[in-house]
Amino acid sequence: MPPCQSACPIRTDVRGYVSAIARADVEDAIRIICEVNPLPSVCGRICTRLCEKACRRAQVDKPVSIRALKRFAADQTKNHHLSKKPQNLFNERIAVVGGGPAGLTAAHDLALLGYKVTIYEARKVLGGLLSEGIPEYRLPKELVKKDIDNILSLGIEKKTGLSLGKDFTLEGLLKDYQAVFLAVGSQKSLLPKCDGSGLSGVLPGFEFLKWVCRGETPDLGKKVLVIGGGHTAIDAARTCIRLGCSDVSIVYRRTLDEMPAGHEEVEEAEKEGIKMIYLTSPVEFIGEGKVRSVKFVKMKLGEPDASGRRRPAPVENSEFELEADTVILAIGYVPDVQVLMHDGLNISKKGTVIVKDDTGITNMKGVFAAGDVVTGPQSVIEAMASGRRAAEAIHLYFRGEPEKGRATVEQLRALDERVAQLINKSKRQEMPTLPVDSRIDNFAEVDLGYTQEQACREAMRCLSCGAGASVDETCAACLNCVRICPFGVPVPGREIAEIDISQCQSCGICASECPASAINLEKTGQEDLRAELEQVVDSARQEEPDTLIIGFYCRYDSPLGPPLDEDDVYWLGRYCTGNLKESQILYPFELGVEGVVLHVCTIEACRFRDGARWMAEHIKRAKKILSETGIGEDRLCLLSGDEDFAQFRKRLDAMGVNPLRTGKKVKS
Amino acid sequence: MIVAELKPFEEIKNMLKDYKKVMVLGCGTCVTVCMSGGERQVELLASSLRMAGKLEGKDIIAGEKTILRQCDPEFIDQIKDEASRYDAVLSMACGAGVQGIAERLEGLTVLPAMNTTFIGLSDGQGKWFEVCAACGDCILDKTGGICPVARCAKKLITGPCGGSRGGMCEVSKDNPCAWQLIYGRLGKAKLSDVLKVVTRPKARPVSPRRMVREDLRVKKEPAKGVK
Repeated sequence: MPPCQSACPIRTDVRGYVSAIARADVEDAIRIICEVNPLPSVCGRICTRLCEKACRRAQVDKPVSIRALKRFAADQTKNHHLSKKPQNLFNERIAVVGGGPAGLTAAHDLALLGYKVTIYEARKVLGGLLSEGIPEYRLPKELVKKDIDNILSLGIEKKTGLSLGKDFTLEGLLKDYQAVFLAVGSQKSLLPKCDGSGLSGVLPGFEFLKWVCRGETPDLGKKVLVIGGGHTAIDAARTCIRLGCSDVSIVYRRTLDEMPAGHEEVEEAEKEGIKMIYLTSPVEFIGEGKVRSVKFVKMKLGEPDASGRRRPAPVENSEFELEADTVILAIGYVPDVQVLMHDGLNISKKGTVIVKDDTGITNMKGVFAAGDVVTGPQSVIEAMASGRRAAEAIHLYFRGEPEKGRATVEQLRALDERVAQLINKSKRQEMPTLPVDSRIDNFAEVDLGYTQEQACREAMRCLSCGAGASVDETCAACLNCVRICPFGVPVPGREIAEIDISQCQSCGICASECPASAINLEKTGQEDLRAELEQVVDSARQEEPDTLIIGFYCRYDSPLGPPLDEDDVYWLGRYCTGNLKESQILYPFELGVEGVVLHVCTIEACRFRDGARWMAEHIKRAKKILSETGIGEDRLCLLSGDEDFAQFRKRLDAMGVNPLRTGKKVKS
Repeated sequence: MIVAELKPFEEIKNMLKDYKKVMVLGCGTCVTVCMSGGERQVELLASSLRMAGKLEGKDIIAGEKTILRQCDPEFIDQIKDEASRYDAVLSMACGAGVQGIAERLEGLTVLPAMNTTFIGLSDGQGKWFEVCAACGDCILDKTGGICPVARCAKKLITGPCGGSRGGMCEVSKDNPCAWQLIYGRLGKAKLSDVLKVVTRPKARPVSPRRMVREDLRVKKEPAKGVK
């Protein structure tokens, strides 16, 4: 399994959808994403992207911008769930309490498994922090709604505006439903242990964002201090700027490197005029009834704590005061478990629901819990994964089917330094953003999303980890692959050549040169090309062209499609043309086409180093055969530009139709 | 390894002019390793034959098949039925393989697509050179591991002819003189004394040679309890 996929809590086939985007097939990309992810538009924007942290491209330059590609796939397509149809298989009814990422994912999965599901949500809209928490400029609510509507279209019932403890109880639910899945999240803001946090003008961060999402605009004044270093702190600060506050600072007790928010987010915040104050912690909120200023102390970093981050400690005699009209506290959240405790659930000292394991089984029969209410605050994708596991556990609870053993995932090793150095660097595509001037007075989405070309180019940066060559038992151990691999990956084994899948770059050159046809590549699909050619020629024939030409081009060289727009040329894109075998170049002639062209690589450096050389070699050998058989080597051409094509076309016209098509005897 | 090369296409075409259904049969051992008669070459040759045939108004059916070794009857038996549906088998094996097929598939026309060239060594990618003449009386212990029978143009086993120039053979100027190589190698290993031993002339073997290993020819006894 590629590292990106094994790092993803819901095991998204990242390589699969990225490669679909590379070949401009967004429909396939979104299909692959939606196999496991019911919230593609959301995750394409705000996922914490563990995949990118695992991406082996980082060993060469920078990781593939996977999240931006997911967003591209989601933005370019509609009706993500059309391919999936829930079946009404079972009579059990399940109540999902909490319509955030964990609840939505569990509801989605249970509906697809064939259960009747109802989501209970205390607020007016589903989505949890997705709808009321993350600001509009980072996650437009209409897109959250799009993902949620898709989920609901599976036949899921929703009951909003009903809260647990007030409008219903767990016990009551268990009378109508055979199982309850509890995913009420973690939304109670933590307050710092210092005087004055009860003053007016001191706001809890999450509540503040919720108000703004609902359209309320609290009076903030001009000067705002946001305390904390997570996503909520940055979101709150950037929201204040948009609400017209002229002086907004984020105060964090550690440094940028320890910040849970990403560097990119901090960068954007700074562009918008937000000041960052590091190594500083509040001591006291000062004011009479309303906050007027905050007393801070400077901090220094000591030894790492349990979270692995260096623990901050106050510096003696370093207190200072900053004026503030509003202070927003974003230092963390805990689940609100009062009601749950009252209903009989076991609650840990940390204030989270105690579950048996990752199945989410609680001490109450039929009640399952997952998401932030069990783990404390975590990322959206982790909450989704826990919702998924709970859905599986609920299914198991009803059906008693043995739990599918979690397949052990084979990890690909890191790239060898030697191999990493041989891989061409390729610039990560930058996300286009709204100019600062046009974003700070409104809530329009800041990230604009990739263009088609950017998406294609970015997707092609993927190293296709693990989709490389494998050697089968027909290997004659000629060691040709060992000698020609541009990355030096194959080695002589005891009986056959061995290719380390964790290092192979899937160029396919070895496969094209293997005398025993014993090397197979997942990525280049050597075997499918014959069928593809037959299909192309067949459909081209319908148009009855006088001259039919098959063209091969390198997708890395020409990511947006065929390099030339010429009538009668039917183009086939390849991931490198160096891996085209002579027999594949010749096969179109057997099918009766008049000519075959290969487009010369125009990129400075071949993605696979030696592709152009091997393409030239294969053309040379194919030409020899065309000449020996009497078809004529001039029907095969290596194109280097428009002019060449005109000449080639002229030559072809002079040669007339492919004698193999008419069956006419040629003059010798 | 036995090294072989594809015959000129024209020759193969002529050989096949009276046949319509031809099985192009590759061999998965030596000729695959020397990249002349394995599965990939079978695919190319079959394609060439189909195209060339069609150009002459003949619809040639060229089947593509490769077996692990054409010099063992058990492997040949794997394709016996399939081969019988063709007019001819075009073997891409060495001479031994072609004969193995002809022997085993009696009644079928078996034709060689290759010229078997020598027993040789790989000299890097795409290069091979002859090193053994299969004389049946090995003297490599006396010649520093360099065979003059195979590598000397005059096949001298008693020493150099005196015609080499600058270490190269006077007969084929691109080849190093085998005896020069032998002197060099033995000298380096301080084994020049070995050359003082007179090498007796080799007995000329009578062809065809046969080898019978009685020790390997133990008759199968029926397993106990089986009547």
